[in-house]
Amino acid sequence: MPALANNELRIVGFLCNWCSYGGADTAGVARASQPTDLRIIRVPCSGRVDPLFVLKALLNGADGVLVSGCHPRDCHYGTGNFYARRRLEVLKRFLPILGIDPARFSYTWVSASEGQRWQKVVSRFTEEIHALGPAPRFEAVEPLAKACSWTQESKGPVSVISPELLEQLKKAIADKLPELDCVLGWQEGRDLLHSVPLFIRSEDDLTKLRCDATCHNNLVRYLPDLKGQKVGIIVRSCEARSVVQLLQEGLISREELVVFALPCQGLLDLPRLEEALGRYQRLEDLTLTETTLRLRVDGQERVFQTADFRQSRCEQCPGELPAIADQSFGDFSGQTASQTLPPELAFLDSLNLQERMGFWRACMERCILCHACRNSCPMCVCRDQCIAESREPHWQSAEASVKEKFFFQIIHALHLAGRCTGCGECQANCPVGLPIFALRAHLNRIVSELFDGYQAGCDPKAVPPLLTYSQEEAHIHERSWE
Amino acid sequence: MRIGVFICHCGSNIAGTVDCAQVAAKAALFPDVVYATDPMYTCAEPGQAAIEEAIHSHKLDGVVVASCSPRMHEPTFRKTVERAGLNPYMFEMANIREHVSWIGRDIEANTRKATELVRLAVEKLRHNRPLQAQEFPITRRVLIIGGGVAGIQAALDCADGGIPVVLVEREATIGGKMAKLDKTFPTVDCSACILGPKMVDVAQHPLITLYAHAEIEAISGYVGNFSVSIRQRTTYVDWSKCTGCGTCTEKCPSKKSYDHFNEGIAPTTAITIAFPQAIPKKAVINKDFCRQLNGKKCAVCAKVCPTGAIDFAMEDSFVTENVGSIVVATGYDLMDWTIYGQYGHGRYPDVITSLAYERLMNASGPTGGHIVRPSDGKEPKSVVFVQCVGSRDPAIGRPYCSGFCCMYTAKQAILTKDHIQDSQSYVFYMDIRAPGKMYDEFTRRAQEEYGTHYIRGRVSQIFPDGQGQLTVLGMDTLLGRPVEIKADLVVLAVGIEASRGARELAEKLRISYDAYGFFLESHVKLKPVETNTAGVFLAGVCQGAKDIPASVAQGSAAAAKVLTLFARETLASNPQIAQVTAKRCVGCGKCLRCCPFGAIKSSLVKGEEKAEVIATMCQGCGLCTATCPQGAIQLAHATDDHILAEVNALCRL
Repeated sequence: MPALANNELRIVGFLCNWCSYGGADTAGVARASQPTDLRIIRVPCSGRVDPLFVLKALLNGADGVLVSGCHPRDCHYGTGNFYARRRLEVLKRFLPILGIDPARFSYTWVSASEGQRWQKVVSRFTEEIHALGPAPRFEAVEPLAKACSWTQESKGPVSVISPELLEQLKKAIADKLPELDCVLGWQEGRDLLHSVPLFIRSEDDLTKLRCDATCHNNLVRYLPDLKGQKVGIIVRSCEARSVVQLLQEGLISREELVVFALPCQGLLDLPRLEEALGRYQRLEDLTLTETTLRLRVDGQERVFQTADFRQSRCEQCPGELPAIADQSFGDFSGQTASQTLPPELAFLDSLNLQERMGFWRACMERCILCHACRNSCPMCVCRDQCIAESREPHWQSAEASVKEKFFFQIIHALHLAGRCTGCGECQANCPVGLPIFALRAHLNRIVSELFDGYQAGCDPKAVPPLLTYSQEEAHIHERSWE
Repeated sequence: MRIGVFICHCGSNIAGTVDCAQVAAKAALFPDVVYATDPMYTCAEPGQAAIEEAIHSHKLDGVVVASCSPRMHEPTFRKTVERAGLNPYMFEMANIREHVSWIGRDIEANTRKATELVRLAVEKLRHNRPLQAQEFPITRRVLIIGGGVAGIQAALDCADGGIPVVLVEREATIGGKMAKLDKTFPTVDCSACILGPKMVDVAQHPLITLYAHAEIEAISGYVGNFSVSIRQRTTYVDWSKCTGCGTCTEKCPSKKSYDHFNEGIAPTTAITIAFPQAIPKKAVINKDFCRQLNGKKCAVCAKVCPTGAIDFAMEDSFVTENVGSIVVATGYDLMDWTIYGQYGHGRYPDVITSLAYERLMNASGPTGGHIVRPSDGKEPKSVVFVQCVGSRDPAIGRPYCSGFCCMYTAKQAILTKDHIQDSQSYVFYMDIRAPGKMYDEFTRRAQEEYGTHYIRGRVSQIFPDGQGQLTVLGMDTLLGRPVEIKADLVVLAVGIEASRGARELAEKLRISYDAYGFFLESHVKLKPVETNTAGVFLAGVCQGAKDIPASVAQGSAAAAKVLTLFARETLASNPQIAQVTAKRCVGCGKCLRCCPFGAIKSSLVKGEEKAEVIATMCQGCGLCTATCPQGAIQLAHATDDHILAEVNALCRL
């Protein structure tokens, strides 16, 4: 399609067939003159509008996107627009973190009889988009070479599991093992500092078990694949929330699961530690206390304050364990969540919209589309069916452009809206160190604001907020077009 | 694919502000387009024939028509391509009339926009797949909501056509507003004499099940298969035993009860039968005035009832009825005229509504048809009628005309003279709206034969003159001078509003309503009794102001629609429904949770839980498709790929 001539801008409308499309027809029948910028895509219901369509349009060159449906309580399908309202409001609040002006997206309700209202909505929205001017193109913005600052205000200890506690845990697992297909834990990886998952199937395997602050892999990621088997899993607060979330979504079965719970004060941020450590050949010894980490590397003694290398997400960890443990070990008291923002989110908050887009543009230059963020996410249950790689539906082209990479990040983030339990594995596993957890942290903040402090993974009986609705939304104040 | 594109001129409707030939020329260059043309009238017979011809001669397997709204002619053109051997879903429409040519005059911008909308349709069509409708059985029963004259007509026509009818009426008797009227215009024949037999027919018809004093609690399902929960409101009288003998109403000691049927012009007893010809003729206790139900010892009715029908412990009960179609005929209410200070806020007993006046004139009313003043029971000699009270008044948000007030006011003026020979009537009017057959002649008779004094103008104030009369101050705008009339009685032609609870009912029915609560027809001219919800039809004033003949006509029209729908044993399902790709489904059940129709169930496929769509229940909203993270459930004809193709056609630079 040729670029638009004159000063017309690219505005895309998604209109439900029953009300708003009819309202636009009514406006036409009444010869209600309107700006010509808007192009209408007819959908059956505003509930059909996947927020990703809006982002696809905005990333691909739309200067504005408008979604319009039936008035709440007047949905042709009864409840479609109630869901749409929640999802589109989350989307609107999500846009700024990407560097997209939220004013470029709006959603509203126009009934089939409201031709005048439609004329007003189109005229107002078009005027507003013209006032903003053409939208900056993601692939054309200046990359912002600015690194996220990781320093934090409050610093806590990291997790150390005493040998006695470890023995207790091993004994409990050994007792339960005969009736289980396997138990998920951690073991030493390529060296003492790195852990990998351990699938305990025998008492021999059990000797390899370790559960300290280096063990950051979220084992819950494996649970959906083991459905149908009787599985034990060692969880700490973050893993426990992931378990709860999967239970809520029915992707794992409580009856097939035995949960061994451990307390946790915090985990080590290995990518940052590696950076501080520099290149090394051999890691000969490791001693970890709550406050210090002693390493003998290539014959040299290195001492680190664990507080400096505590994972940023551990600051926000509510600490307390959702009530799903079958067996608990150790003392769970003492930890409270800090009210500070995750540093990556605080960093993005400090940037303006243009800088944010530039920042992500720079990040996406580095993204290698390895999908490690997705593959390590306990909530990414689509596995091989991820829409980022499917032909039908064909959401993403195979082109490895910054735009497509960014869209992949957006898919991952939006699919986690209201579901992300904040384990931070996505970011911890990013080989190029992109602060992508910021997108999830921002979504979690939005969900909490909109839905009475809702946090994913805290209550096995709760309904995820984007899979339900209320007829009157306490915290969603739609704009008036008057 | 081989796509043909037809850019309709729609006479000058489109061609006036869109260069159709240029759009066609550009469309010819779009991918897969092998033929593009710009006919004058595509929907006309030669236009449709040209599409069929092009399909054959150019071996087209998809067609795009750019013309009016698909809400108008999509079904027309789907049939056209089907006749030529294509699947009806290998067709797309671009709306270049309502959304382009009619809303802007800039030919260049319009042509550009039209071209893009055609591009959009072509891109969507390239993703279309042939869809096949399935047949599903229907329940050949109809629910009629509202037992006024429109509902009665619809019920009788349906039942006479062999369709079992469930008639639900909120009041204790059917008959609606018409049952309260004395005589009807323009023939001045007795309302009860023409409506009464129809009411009896309803009661006696073997195919009609009547639920009076009942309301719609909930409605689920879809065309052909609705399930309706009906709340039978408590009457405290077991209607299976009540014979309607009326002994209870004679003996009831609570005689200050508000009489809804008689518009409150005289009090009645706490236990009542609405009027002598009520259908069903059963007693109902008004809970607000019953002594027994308000903690006092009484139960006189229970003692005198010969059949022991009184049941003070009765509670609301619920009935579920399965029907295939619904006719809504919920009528109207009068607006609350007491907001008008100039008419006395309802403080003066001799300022009454026209509906109350009907009860005063009616032989079955509390006065036995003698017109008397509510205040002192004297015959009024000077009666002032005020029209448009709460109609055509934008100041109170009611700009619409109530339609029939001009006519009944003329009728009431005539009847006043008939009742009281030496009386004089005055009518304050804004315009006389008498467009029906014999209507204008009728209003002229009121003036010329009956000497009714018509004054064009509004009433500014009504107040008691202290000597038992009311002073009516107004303006005669034709003479340009103020008038003052001494009136014994003032009758206000109070405007109508949507029936109480109309909006809530519309939500249960999933039909649209306008800003005033009147239900929205599917097309203002061509589908006046259809709604946008298949299988739900409208009759009577619930759709907008109309008089008795028009309401009856709509009742019959709605019945005809029901009979048309039920002429077949089965209905073709809409094939635009959700479909699951089992391979992609991970069985998370998110679609199941959201589906507004319970149309998705979980089923085992090779030992794994997968979503499965129940084809007859899916209504095609696509909420599941927007919910499924894997894109495993796709709404046919509006798949992710369809919408992405449209987005990409618009946005990819």
